[in-house]
Amino acid sequence: MEFARYDVNKYSPRQMVALPLVLLLLAGVLLGYTTLTTGLPITPGIDFAGGTAVTVFTSDSRETIETTFAGYPLLSVGEGIGDGKYIQFGPMDSAQYQSLVALINEKYPDSKIDQIGETFGKTLQSQAFLALIFSFIGMAVVVMIAFRNIVPAGAVVLSAFADIVITGGIMQIIGIPLSLGTTAALLMLIGYSVDSDILLTTRLLKRKGKLEEKLSGAFKTGIIMTTTTLAAIAAMWVVATAGQIQIIAEIASVLLIGLLVDMMNTWMLNAGILKEYVLRGNKK
Amino acid sequence: MNGETIKTLIKDWRVALVLLLVVGSLVGIYLAPPSPEKGLEGNLQFGLDLEGGSWLQMEFQSVVVAFSTEGSVGDLMEDLRTGLETEVIRIDENHIEIRKSVTRADLEPIFAQSGASIVTYQKGVSPFTADEVKRILNEKVNALGMQDARINLLTPTGSEFPQYVRIELAGVDMATAQDIVGQQGLFEIRVQTAGNETEHVLYGDQITSVGVPQKDLDGRWGVSFTLTETGAEAFREAAVESGAVDNPDAHNLVMILDNETVYSAPLSGELAGQLRSGPVRSLSASTGTGDAGLEDAMTLQIHLRAGALPVKVDIVGSGSVPAALGEQFKMTVALAGLLALLTVAVVVYYRYREPSIVIPMVAINLAEIIILLGISRFIIQLDLATIAGLIAVVGTGIDQLVIITDEVLHEGRVPSPNLYMKRYGRALGIIAVAAATVFIAMLPLALMDLSTLRGFAIITILGVLIGILVTRPAYGKIIMAILSK
Repeated sequence: MEFARYDVNKYSPRQMVALPLVLLLLAGVLLGYTTLTTGLPITPGIDFAGGTAVTVFTSDSRETIETTFAGYPLLSVGEGIGDGKYIQFGPMDSAQYQSLVALINEKYPDSKIDQIGETFGKTLQSQAFLALIFSFIGMAVVVMIAFRNIVPAGAVVLSAFADIVITGGIMQIIGIPLSLGTTAALLMLIGYSVDSDILLTTRLLKRKGKLEEKLSGAFKTGIIMTTTTLAAIAAMWVVATAGQIQIIAEIASVLLIGLLVDMMNTWMLNAGILKEYVLRGNKK
Repeated sequence: MNGETIKTLIKDWRVALVLLLVVGSLVGIYLAPPSPEKGLEGNLQFGLDLEGGSWLQMEFQSVVVAFSTEGSVGDLMEDLRTGLETEVIRIDENHIEIRKSVTRADLEPIFAQSGASIVTYQKGVSPFTADEVKRILNEKVNALGMQDARINLLTPTGSEFPQYVRIELAGVDMATAQDIVGQQGLFEIRVQTAGNETEHVLYGDQITSVGVPQKDLDGRWGVSFTLTETGAEAFREAAVESGAVDNPDAHNLVMILDNETVYSAPLSGELAGQLRSGPVRSLSASTGTGDAGLEDAMTLQIHLRAGALPVKVDIVGSGSVPAALGEQFKMTVALAGLLALLTVAVVVYYRYREPSIVIPMVAINLAEIIILLGISRFIIQLDLATIAGLIAVVGTGIDQLVIITDEVLHEGRVPSPNLYMKRYGRALGIIAVAAATVFIAMLPLALMDLSTLRGFAIITILGVLIGILVTRPAYGKIIMAILSK
């Protein structure tokens, strides 16, 4: 594993925090720009924008499908392994939707269809946004109570924040839409990201011993922790993508990206801040 | 590990509790009640996307307004009724329900004109109306003999009033589902002519509005309804010609919904008198006194509407999964779960290379999944998202076991029992904070009515709770017993 060769003690705190902070800034600019131009930080999926999603198993090619649905607001045709296809349509009026459903039932009777109205999508959006805000504040409060010390707690909250923003930026770049599933994954990331941070902080501040030893010990445990989680999520991603289960594939891909981002933030950003904090404390 | 250590281990309450819960869960899934025909699935409940079926989410076309007025509330409501041509219902002291999707801006002038003002404006219906909708939908579904239907009222977070109703029908395709919801029964009023013979008076299309159950001065419950002019004319004609006006008791009025008699009673003397002189448009059917009367009035009111909902609803979301596809998804997610567990086992083996650590880790993880499935059987349906949550729990579960192992095995050796307990406590401390964060982070999603991801959030929270309270403490004990041999 390439990342395991990273020597957590080799770099100065300043060097450690540089990369995550630059990425945070870039991701922040990207999301900010998208928000200004489209009103949402990440391009929304069917859940939030309204539209119709169809999962179908057919040997028809993408071109055939595109021709079949040429008269409808077709957005994309996704292909899985095997014959699975995920077809997305933009919002349409009720009459057009009825005729689409009839067409789908005729051509591909065994397909899963989900449809969300445009205004209902807006409601879901605002509810998801509320959930994200409440979650983040709740997390920050728990961390503050647990550490009762502004610097380490602030570092944990900052790195959780960076996790979400950078993951969001990557989602936007590689085209994973913001949906109920991916929002849930981001919320879960808030929870996930904190446990390696807490391990790091507890080891560094509450254990006795040399800073270098504590740091590399925490690093070793932390990496194996995140790796096991990554392994479980990767297995889920592979199977869900192959089996064309869109919602699980989306949740899994966001968690995968998020966990990798979290490794960086924990062992560079959070560790860097803590190292500086401990070193300064010793000088006094 | 010898027999002796196993015995002492089982006597430890933490380990005993895990075993007990695993056994209890297996019993719950497979034996209580026994369900051999379902094979491995046992009594687990699956969501629509795994079972096959359709869902419809509908929005009430109605608003609830809190108002203040110097004048009379009755006048205000009358102004709204005529101004908007819709039904207006008083909910309580200062709330009214307007059964039409109307903007606040459109309401302001009507309120101003009646000397009133709008205090708050929210989309939705009163809980009373919402329950009525639910009852009507339930009745429709039951009438078709469908047991596997779920009907839920949804209130968006931040609002006080239900705004949506979601109906889930297992094993039904989309077209049928829409039919069930949209379908209205055939309602007919007939009059008894001679003996058991009855004659047609009018159909349900002549009923223009149906009121809510009300008590009259004698304490009898009844439902008022209005007829069109033609309807009222037909009603009068039938009453006169059949002789009901002269001898009400021998000529019952019979109401029939889809060929079933739902109400039968004579004309009241007062109404008979009125009908003699001319048609009457506002009628009332009384159902009797007390709770039984109220109950009957409620049902009659639904029948009078012929299964139509009191509030117009718009379909804002819908979906369907064919049963075969659901079955395929089921296999896929089961495979995903197994593969996740296996990969995790390989990773921890790669790290520790010690079967006596890896086997308990994986076993505890498996126990956790079984317990979660056992609990979920009673409280939630497993849908795709919930299973994603379950697999994610496998991931977090193992990583917290790693924290315990590494914390305890500090410097590669097992310490003395005293030191062990201290470190074990510290590891649990780390896990407790992590658990609290996951709990808090997922809580909003678990509480929100509108999210289809409640299952995902609930299973994650349960996983964290079971982990911190039951399985992690037990793992600590087991690993200590194994390593200190």
